[in-house]
Amino acid sequence: MPSKRPPLSEKRPKKDWYKLDLSAIVYPTLQRRDFSAVYRLSVTLKAPVDPELLQRAVDIAMKRFPTYKVAIRKGLFWRYLEPNRRPGPYVRPDIKNPCMPMGFQTNNRYLVRFYYYENRISMEAHHCLGDGTGGMCVLQTVTAVYLELQGCFITKKYFVRDVNEEPSPGELEDAYMRYADAGVHPPRVHEKAYRVRGTKEPFYTLNIINGTLSSAETKQVAKKYGVTVTEYFNAVLLYALLQKQEKEWHLRLRPVKIAMPVNLRRFFPSETLRNFITMVYPGIDPRLGAYTFEEIVTQTHNFMRYYINEKFLRGDITTNAATQRNPLIRVVPLFLKDFIVSRFYAAIQDKNSSAGLTNMGLCQVPEDMKPHIERFDIYMGQPFSSRTNCAIITYEDTLTINFASSIIEADVERLFFRKLVQDGIHVKIASNRESV
Amino acid sequence: MSYCVNCGVELDASHKSCPLCNTPVINPKQLEQLIAVPPFPSEKGQVELVKRKDAALLLSVVLLSTAVTCGLLNVFVYKASLWSLSIIGACCVLWVFMIPLVIYTKLSAYASLLLDGVVVCAYLFMLTWLTKQNTWFWGIALPITILVTVLAEIMTFLLRRFRFSFLVTATVSFAEIAVLCVGIELVLNRYLHQRFFLSWSGIVLTICSIITIALITILSKKRLRNAVRRRLHF
Repeated sequence: MPSKRPPLSEKRPKKDWYKLDLSAIVYPTLQRRDFSAVYRLSVTLKAPVDPELLQRAVDIAMKRFPTYKVAIRKGLFWRYLEPNRRPGPYVRPDIKNPCMPMGFQTNNRYLVRFYYYENRISMEAHHCLGDGTGGMCVLQTVTAVYLELQGCFITKKYFVRDVNEEPSPGELEDAYMRYADAGVHPPRVHEKAYRVRGTKEPFYTLNIINGTLSSAETKQVAKKYGVTVTEYFNAVLLYALLQKQEKEWHLRLRPVKIAMPVNLRRFFPSETLRNFITMVYPGIDPRLGAYTFEEIVTQTHNFMRYYINEKFLRGDITTNAATQRNPLIRVVPLFLKDFIVSRFYAAIQDKNSSAGLTNMGLCQVPEDMKPHIERFDIYMGQPFSSRTNCAIITYEDTLTINFASSIIEADVERLFFRKLVQDGIHVKIASNRESV
Repeated sequence: MSYCVNCGVELDASHKSCPLCNTPVINPKQLEQLIAVPPFPSEKGQVELVKRKDAALLLSVVLLSTAVTCGLLNVFVYKASLWSLSIIGACCVLWVFMIPLVIYTKLSAYASLLLDGVVVCAYLFMLTWLTKQNTWFWGIALPITILVTVLAEIMTFLLRRFRFSFLVTATVSFAEIAVLCVGIELVLNRYLHQRFFLSWSGIVLTICSIITIALITILSKKRLRNAVRRRLHF
């Protein structure tokens, strides 16, 4: 009698480690005592958060995301993620200084942290696990489970995943490698950009300035200039940086550039919850002459149209993937890779931009979740050097802008919000700064 | 609802001044701003320290086993001399060096450096006892160890006392290099020629003094300091 063969899924052992994706390789090499590539996502509910219920929701939901319930380990040539079966992550009261450095051996080796404060649930994740889209899936699923534990029913739609189903292979994939197939490797352009100077805050201090706007009002203003909301905000930030550079003492002017992550899922179909972004650098070169705001808007608009398309982005991914695929680079021991990458990042990559800006766009939630949610917030986290990072997200008509910086001066933020006010947008400001 | 008169933005009800320009909010009709819930918590988080108990245990076990094995070999196999004492002593020195790094991380830096100096002196003294010659210990080893310990303590104090910066570190380093070189040469000349005089360390002293004085001048003049930072892009 022939023996019954087990199905393939049973025969194959469950994968118990994950390679870091193409972007994630870089973030752990930048880890310092006072810096980790950590971002934060927050959801504000309409009722105060129950910490015990939230802990249960986190425990249930985290099992659904195997690439987030992991610890990072060192191999001989690369780092990797392995499932973390230690207890946690535990929810804790929120703190004044978000996005604190995240040691790889602390917090029971978890690379995510959950906080609660009044009506707000916040999640912080190390960027080596995934980007904002992946993080939003985790946060919204935790929130959905939390609401379900309170007796609500939530449809599994948009970012909300069903905690009872297995994650699909597509959610765990390194999507970069699937699309890194352009025929050429376009060279990277590196030019030292203007760097915001300021007085460094003491260790662990992250200054947040939060602006709340009406999405409809902002769209109207952007429409007036004939551009999208992202292009408009980019132009305003460039305008603020240009003004700041002009007012400062300088030997010579430098180009002002913004590092802006682009969500590649818009161009390359993928359901991955890991990193799938690439950076573009819209900028203005004041050495060419004085730009009016309208000219900056036009320049930004044209830059976005020219560079953010499937062809250019595919070339960019291929260039990035080429280094990882190079057999000579692959055999270099990890400690040497760490040394070289961190030096390269500090000397060239970090100096390539004057500020960071990300716009997650409209955050959609299932209809039955809407009555419980007030707003979403996103924070880009601590900048690698003294500059400011700006993160934008929209929920319904509430558009939130969060500036995060480790310097005392708030000149860029002030110039940015004043321009919005001048354009007729109503802005409400909140901050965690000591002086307020 | 309060607005900043300078920036035109609406401010959170809990704020007493504008976060963008620090202009105070004065609204006598709206006293409830004092009791409004702030948008961010007031508690500051502390970064969790890495627990190094495993590393401390492993290190202690490795050093202890090395010392015990060498001791046993000396007693039962290679009995000609007390050679194992030099290895056991080196293990003790290494263990003391590792105390602030993995064993007791809360130990003050000054105490740790003093302990390091004392244990090195003790180890060197043990070597003199093994070699039956102690003139080099009193003449060279002890004065140089004391000098290095004192300089390390002074450097730690200065770097903690003044705000850490590239310029301060460079100033202290150059000054200490000069003192160390002069000290070493004086001790060596006293030991070898029975008198104090300077030769090569005089050149080091001159160069380091010029650099240190220039750096102190830069540090003491804010305008000069900023000009150097601007030009060198620290």
